[in-house]
Amino acid sequence: MSLKGKGRRTVVVNNMKLLVGGVQLRDGVTTITDILGKMFVRAGLHILAMEKGYASTIYGAHQYDPVVVSDTPPLSWGDDHPDILVSLEFDTNPDVPVQPNRDTILRHGKNLTDNGVLLYDSTTSTVDTSDLEARGIKVFPLPARQIALRELKREVVKNTVVTGALLRLLEFDMDYQLFGQYLEERFSKRGREIVDLNLEAARRGRAVIEEVMKVHGWTTVGYRLEGRKVERPALLVNGNEAMSMGAILAGCRYYAAYPITPASSILEYMEAYLPKYGGRAIQGQNERESIRAAIGASVAGVRAAVGSSGPGISLKVEEFGTSGMTETPVVIINTQRAGPSTGMPTKSEQGDLTLAVVGGHGDIPRIVLAAGTVEECYTLAFEAFDLADKYQCPVFLLSDLALADGRKNLPEEFFTQNRRPVVRHGLLREADLRGDGYRRYAMTESGISPRSVPGTPGGIFKMTGSEHDEAGLVTTDPPKRKAMYEKRQRKMQTYLKEDVKPPQVFGTPDGVPLLVGWGSTKLAILDAQARLRAEGLETCAIHFTHLWPFPVHLVRPLLQRGSALIVIEGNYNGQLADLIQQECLLETKRILKYNGRPFYTSDVTGGVRQLLANGTRVVRVGERAPEVMLETVPEGD
Amino acid sequence: MSTAPTVTPAKLWEQNATPKHRIQWCPGCGDFGVLAALKMAFVKMELLPHEVLMFGGIGCSGQIRNYLNGNGFHGTHGGPLAYALGAAMAKPDLTVMALAGDGDTLAIGMENFIHACRRDPNVTMIIMNNGVYGLTKGQDSPTTGLGKVMEAHTEEHPPYVDPVRLAIASGASFAAQSFAGDPKHCAEIYVEAIKHKGFALVNDFSPCVTYNKFNTYEWCKEHVEHIPSSHNPADKQAAWALLDEYDRKGRLPLGVIYQAPRHKIEHARLPIWDEEFADVDHAPMFQPFM
Repeated sequence: MSLKGKGRRTVVVNNMKLLVGGVQLRDGVTTITDILGKMFVRAGLHILAMEKGYASTIYGAHQYDPVVVSDTPPLSWGDDHPDILVSLEFDTNPDVPVQPNRDTILRHGKNLTDNGVLLYDSTTSTVDTSDLEARGIKVFPLPARQIALRELKREVVKNTVVTGALLRLLEFDMDYQLFGQYLEERFSKRGREIVDLNLEAARRGRAVIEEVMKVHGWTTVGYRLEGRKVERPALLVNGNEAMSMGAILAGCRYYAAYPITPASSILEYMEAYLPKYGGRAIQGQNERESIRAAIGASVAGVRAAVGSSGPGISLKVEEFGTSGMTETPVVIINTQRAGPSTGMPTKSEQGDLTLAVVGGHGDIPRIVLAAGTVEECYTLAFEAFDLADKYQCPVFLLSDLALADGRKNLPEEFFTQNRRPVVRHGLLREADLRGDGYRRYAMTESGISPRSVPGTPGGIFKMTGSEHDEAGLVTTDPPKRKAMYEKRQRKMQTYLKEDVKPPQVFGTPDGVPLLVGWGSTKLAILDAQARLRAEGLETCAIHFTHLWPFPVHLVRPLLQRGSALIVIEGNYNGQLADLIQQECLLETKRILKYNGRPFYTSDVTGGVRQLLANGTRVVRVGERAPEVMLETVPEGD
Repeated sequence: MSTAPTVTPAKLWEQNATPKHRIQWCPGCGDFGVLAALKMAFVKMELLPHEVLMFGGIGCSGQIRNYLNGNGFHGTHGGPLAYALGAAMAKPDLTVMALAGDGDTLAIGMENFIHACRRDPNVTMIIMNNGVYGLTKGQDSPTTGLGKVMEAHTEEHPPYVDPVRLAIASGASFAAQSFAGDPKHCAEIYVEAIKHKGFALVNDFSPCVTYNKFNTYEWCKEHVEHIPSSHNPADKQAAWALLDEYDRKGRLPLGVIYQAPRHKIEHARLPIWDEEFADVDHAPMFQPFM
C-alpha cells in the first residue's frame, strides 16, 4: 500500500492491505478472507486479493492471502507491505518445527508497514515482537484457539474469534449486522445455536482486543473501515469464475479438462453449472482425452472448450494441429503457472506465450488472446468463442495463476452489460444445404469455409488432419496442397482485417517511455505508471490482449512513438519482447520477474528507473528473498 | 426414412466417397470385407449417410471413412475413440463410429480404449485387426503374435493383446468378434453392435496380405469358429468361460461374446443454434457471488 499519511498518527480509513497467514488446510486462512471479503463488498468497499500464496501440498505448508481494501477500485495489489498482519498459527507449523506459532510473523512481519497492526494467535505462547513494536506496530496477542477450545468447547470457531477481533480492530460492522447476516446464510439451516455460538465467539475476540487497547491506552489502531452507500450490487469473483461464467454465457456447452492447478476450479464450476444450461462437463482421463473429446463435440456442432495449465497444455500440443488442420473450433484456456516442467505449480508466471503462439509442428492457424484482469477473463471469453467459431481454429485464452485465484468485486452491471448474445458464425442450416456439392473446405476469399452440423441432410463432410482437397479427401498434389495451406492461413489475414484489437493504450505515447505488458502484470504496470507520474516521470502503458496473429500494422507505428520500449513480463526470456522484436523489428528493453511472486509496483518503478538511468537492456527483479525460510521448504507437485 | 427416389439404398453409400479405383488398399486387403460389411449393415438398418459420423484412425484401416458415404473425421493417432466420445455426448441422435486399426487402438490409443469401455458412450468401434503396422511397412503391433506359441517372449516382442478380454475386463457392455473374410457375418455383427445402447466393440480379423504372412486368410479360416447359438452373451461368466474354452482349443470365437446392457441415462442433444441460447438466464450464476 502507499505510505501516504502513515508516518503520522492519523487514522487511515478504507485504504489498507490485510494479510492473513497460517498453516494450509488446518488454520482456515481463506475462511477468514472469504467471510471478510463478502462483508466488505456488501458494505460497498472494494477489494482486490490477487497474491494468494499457497503450496502444492494439501496440508501443512504456509498459506497466506493478502487483501487490499479501499474506497475505490484498487489499481493494483501495490507492494509487498501489508498494513494489518493476522497470524493464525496456534502452535507449530509442521513444516517449520523450530518456529512454534510464529511462522507467519517471521515471514511477513518484516514487510509489515511501520505503525501497522499485528494480530496473532497466542494460544501456545506470546511471541517476542519487540522489533516490530519498535517500528510502531501495534501487537495484539489473541489466544483464539484457547478461547474456542476451553471457553466455547468448539475448536472450529477459533477463526470466528479472530474475525470478531479483526472487526473490532477495524471498527467495522460493530453491530454485527453484516456478520450476523452472513452467519444466518451460512449456518441457519444447521440450527440457531450454531449462529449464536459464532456470534459469541466474535464477541470474545472483540473483548480481548478491547482489553489490550485499554492496557496500552490506545483509542484506535490507526486503521479503520467505514461502510459506504451501496449503490449497485457487486459480485466477488476470481478470474476462473469470471471466465467460466463468460464461457457459459458465450454459448460454451461442452467443457473437458483434466485436473491441474490452477485450472481445476474452472472444471469444478463447469461441472456444477453447465448441466443447468443444457451442457456437459467431463473430467478427462488425461489431457489428451480432454481436448480430443472437446474437438469431437465441436465437430458435432457444439461450442467446446478445454482448460489446463502449462504441463497439461504441453500434452495437448498435438491437437493444436488437429484443430487447425481440420478447421474445428476449440477454445483452449491456459491458466499459466510457473514452469518449465512441473515448475512451481502454485506460483504464477507468464511463461506460455511462446507455446501458445508457435506450439506444434507445421504452421497452424491460431488466435491467441490473453486476459490482464478479472474483467478481461470474462469479456475475452465471449471473444474467444466467437473467434473460434468464425475462424475454425484453436483459440488460446491465456490467463495466469494470479488471475485464476485472484478475487475482486465487480458491479453486477459489468457482467450484464458485457454479455453478448450467442451468434454462431458460418454454421450452415438445412435450408442452406439444399442441392448437391457441399464441400467442407470450399475455397473462399476470406479463407473461411462454412461448416455443417453432422446429421444435416446435404451437409455430409469429410474432415481430416491430413492435407486434403476441398471435399476433404486426402491429397499430396502440390497445387492442391499449396492452395489449401493458403486458404487456412488466409483466415488469419481476414482476422487481422476484421477482428484483431490493438493493444490498450493508457496515456500518450509520444516521446515518453512505453511500459508494455500482457496478462496480470497489467495492474502492477498501471499502478507503477501512476506512481512514476507522481514522481514526475510521464510514461505510457500499453497492454496487449490480442497477441497472435500479431497486429504489426497497428503495433509498430504505436511503439515507434515512444522514447523507450520497456516490456514488463513474468518470465525469464521476455516472450512478448521477443515477439515484438521479431514482428516489429524494434529493439526492446525488459523488466523480468520469475521468482514465483507477482510484480509489485516498486519492481516496475525500480526497473524503469534502472533501465532509463544506465542504458541496461534487461533488469531481472525479485532477488530479495521475500520470506525467511520458505524457499527451503519441500513441496510436492 | 426418406431417401432420394433415384438412388437405391446400396448406391447411396457410394456417393460422397472416393471412387472405387482410388481405394488405396492392397488387392485382397481384409479391410475391403469390412467396408462391404459396413455398407450392408447401414443399408440393413436403413440409416442415411448424413446420420452417420465416422472417426477414422491413423493407418490403412482409418481410410475406410473416405471409402463410403457419411460424415468422416480423421485426427491424431490413437484419438478416434476420444473424438467419438465428445461427438456422441454432444449429439446423441448421430450414429457414431470409431474405425481404426489394432495399433491405433491398442498401442498409442490404449488410454482411450480402456476408458471408453468404462464410460460406455453410444459409440460402435470396429478394430480392423491385422496384427501388424501395415502403413509403416510391417512393424509389430500389440496384436502381433496371434496364434503363435510363445514359450518365451522378450520386452521387445511381448505377446498378443486380446481386445475382447481387455474390453470386458474394462467394463465394456458389448464385445464381439468377426472375420473380414465373411462380410455377411460381419454385417450381422455390426448391426447388433450399432443397435447396442452404449459402447460396442467389434474385433474384426482383417488380414494384411502384404505384411502379415502368418495370420493369413487361410490361417484365419482354419482358426475361426462361430459361437454356438446356445451361448448366452448376457452372462458374463459364460463369456469368460467361452473365451477360455476357445483359447484351449486354439480357436477364435466369432459372434457376440458379451452383451449386458447397462442402464444408460439418456441425454438430450447439447444446444447448438442461436435461438437455443436466447433465454439463457445469468442470474443463477451471479447470485452465489453476491
